[in-house]
Amino acid sequence: MYHFLRLSVLFIGLFAASCGYAVNATPSLTTSDDLGPKVEQPIEFPHDRHAGDAAKGGMQINCMYCHTYARRSAVAGIPPLQKCIGCHQSIESVRETPRIKKLFEYWEAKKAVPWKKVHDLPDFVRFNHERHIQRFIFKQGKPVQEACGYCHGDVKTMTVARRQKPLSMGWCVSCHQKDHPVDAASTKTTHGPNDCWQCHK
Amino acid sequence: MIENSFNRRDFMRVLGWGGATVALSGCGNTSVEDGKEFVTSYVEAADYVIPSIGTYFNTTCAQCDAGCGIMGRVREGRVLKLEGNPTSSINKGKTCGLGQAGVQAHYNPDRVREPLLRNGSKGETITWEKALELIKDKIGVGAGEVAFLTGGVSGHTKVLLKNYLDALGSGHHYAYEAVSPAIIRAANKKAYGVEMPRLRLDKAKVIVSFGADFLGAWVSPVHFAQQYARFRKNAKGERGVLVQIESKMTLTGANADRWLAVRPGTEGIFALGLINGLAAAGLSVPKDVLDLVRSYTISRVSKDTGVSTEHMDKLIALLRARSPSLVIAGSAAEGYAHGSQNAAAINLLNKVLGNVGKTVEPPSAISFPQITPTTGSRSALQALNDSMAQGKVKVLFSYGANPVFTAPITMKLKENMKKVPFKVAFAHYMDETAVEADLVLPLNSAMEDWSTSVPEYVAEGAQLNIQQPLMEKLYPGTLGMGDILLALLKQRRPDEYKGYEDFYSYLRGAMVSIKGTLGKASESDDTFWDGALSHGVVKLKDTPISLANKVFSGNLALPAPFAEDGGYPLHLIPAVSASLRDGRNANEPWLQESPDPLTTIVWDSWVEVHPKTAAKLGIVEGDIVEVASKSGAIKAQVYVFPGIHPDVISVPLGYGHEAMGRYAKGVGANVFRMLDPIFDKETGELAMHETRVKITKAGQRVIIVKDEGPAGGNQMGRKIAVRMSSEKANISKEV
Repeated sequence: MYHFLRLSVLFIGLFAASCGYAVNATPSLTTSDDLGPKVEQPIEFPHDRHAGDAAKGGMQINCMYCHTYARRSAVAGIPPLQKCIGCHQSIESVRETPRIKKLFEYWEAKKAVPWKKVHDLPDFVRFNHERHIQRFIFKQGKPVQEACGYCHGDVKTMTVARRQKPLSMGWCVSCHQKDHPVDAASTKTTHGPNDCWQCHK
Repeated sequence: MIENSFNRRDFMRVLGWGGATVALSGCGNTSVEDGKEFVTSYVEAADYVIPSIGTYFNTTCAQCDAGCGIMGRVREGRVLKLEGNPTSSINKGKTCGLGQAGVQAHYNPDRVREPLLRNGSKGETITWEKALELIKDKIGVGAGEVAFLTGGVSGHTKVLLKNYLDALGSGHHYAYEAVSPAIIRAANKKAYGVEMPRLRLDKAKVIVSFGADFLGAWVSPVHFAQQYARFRKNAKGERGVLVQIESKMTLTGANADRWLAVRPGTEGIFALGLINGLAAAGLSVPKDVLDLVRSYTISRVSKDTGVSTEHMDKLIALLRARSPSLVIAGSAAEGYAHGSQNAAAINLLNKVLGNVGKTVEPPSAISFPQITPTTGSRSALQALNDSMAQGKVKVLFSYGANPVFTAPITMKLKENMKKVPFKVAFAHYMDETAVEADLVLPLNSAMEDWSTSVPEYVAEGAQLNIQQPLMEKLYPGTLGMGDILLALLKQRRPDEYKGYEDFYSYLRGAMVSIKGTLGKASESDDTFWDGALSHGVVKLKDTPISLANKVFSGNLALPAPFAEDGGYPLHLIPAVSASLRDGRNANEPWLQESPDPLTTIVWDSWVEVHPKTAAKLGIVEGDIVEVASKSGAIKAQVYVFPGIHPDVISVPLGYGHEAMGRYAKGVGANVFRMLDPIFDKETGELAMHETRVKITKAGQRVIIVKDEGPAGGNQMGRKIAVRMSSEKANISKEV
């Protein structure tokens, strides 16, 4: 007699859990665009000014000039403050602008800029920048901004970077299942690894 | 009611659906976190620093006194893993388990983080300025000596320590090591003219080791282990034979080809018996030695030691057939009131066999006497204790030693310490000694500190080890020992030391000033210093010394074997384990967790009892027994172990902390406390193996936590891998 009563209590829990799923659900795992939240940064870094097209007032600096670790390491890292100062100490024209003044304040205090992470994968995912950049930029000869943009979006049009792609597992896999040429000269194709342990080590 | 109406099947069904739903809701993008964590970059980064890729820096291991060179893998400013430094001639790129646990000393949650001043029973945080001022004030008042208790010291720390004590005028240095081969050193000095000759295990064809656990915990185990590998298979592919003679099996004993259990204390008699037997077998032995050993006939020695004549004959034949051999006197031989005699008899055997100059080589003398190692002894603590008991000490400094934990209870060290008006402990942890102190000064970990050291046992040439920080300090409130000594010296000799901003600048200056004598005069200061830091060791000019070659001098009289003691029928051997040693590393959980190599027991003390003795006493494995000596008693679990003489029981040292930290406190029992006050007659060292005990069942029985045995053998009763004979197995069915 209590049987169904007890069961129904559990089914209510089940219903609540499925509602939780519905709220969290995203439209589709393989969507091309999935805008992340705006992230407040200590200095509003203008990516567009540094990397943007010359026609739009950009400097067209290669992504890897500043994000120098990406091609050599699993993590892209944030350029050391020294890198910013290296150029900006000789760019007098913007020396007195608020952002650059703030930058030099950090430099003089020898304190690191407390940047917020924009693309932060969960700790159980090991994404390797080096592998992707070596493959797409150095082997296939893709333009740098295109290759970085697969995951990071069109950063050269942004000021502070904002997540453009879902970075979910399904989204990663959707690309890993596609055939990509092995290198620029070859017609041979292969797809990305689909072993669990490639990312979950 | 509920159990009846809501059955297990329904529950599983609902749980299954619920679980699936929860799993689904977790599969969205919710786990990608944006803008939550900080990503901190370097302000200025060296070219070789790449995030996520480790950089290796060379430094020196501080886990024991062997002084192995290590390199630490540093990533994003954190030290993660230690490896051996290939440049160091001691360990040549290898490390041991104890060394590996060095990172746990560094990241330990129980480290002292701020200077603490006693206020009643509590410690109050004070600043370093106040602490140093307080030391100055306390030294200024009243008559009496300033006692500085340390472990073994060497290098520039020793230089500063000596200068500080000289500056005080009333300072005394007591170098104390709770488990040190102090009696062996003295015996070696007499026999060979040096305290620690180089032992060439790799050149020997037979090794006869009297309880020297050179693969486990004796002097420089990582070095000896490498030599041992070459001894077991030399360049010609020949295999050396190891014979271990001891009353309690050590790790080395377990590796031996022949393990001979002698009655405790008869090691010297055994050695003299071997000389007698060798002479009879045709070895030329000087006449005075022959006179000495004449009465030690094989049959008598066999009766005294409990080793059969057959085994003795075999060993004698082996030693005659294979040369050169190497005879080592270890801690099992030295731990008696006649320990010096035992060691002398064993060294005599070595000399009679003609091993000096072949497998026993002279060490190198170091041209800078001020940095040579000051080794510790147990008699130093005895001397300090006497001074304190008489109220002569006004200020006591304690560094690198934990005497309250390691002193036998009969010394009344804790009580005598109370007579010292001001006690300063330089500490990593709030250990038993720090708890008794009035002022506790927190030290940098070995991975945050600058220092230099010269190990007692260096295998090739002479070298100075450099210890450099592998990362920034974890806690701003800690300070390096060198920095503290420098600050104290500035109080006394400001003119001499004001030029040095910190210990680093002192060390760099001192090292650069000797570069000429190291043959590096042509290098710039920076090049020399950078080279020293990148190698982690500095080769010093070594001057060879010659060993004393007279075979026998002086008198040697060994006492008769121990008489039975009805009240305390068993001998207690406090075992030095490869991980815990004297207990200074007990708060590193890896070391508590790594199973003892012979018994596989973890996280507790145990009493090794021979099966025959256990049967006689009606004890089985896991029984809690009380082990009582004339001086004290402990309780621990019994482990029935055949690798021990039936008259002996053994309990490992290093357990049973009453303070120190969460991983050490309350784990096991402290066997140091119950040692009887019996001393070696020549050196005055505490005879560690002299204590007689009795054991009684305390009533309880536990399941021993260990890897081997029934509990592990049947996979905790779960039978995961079923054992069956091969003809019954049908693999095609199983796949």
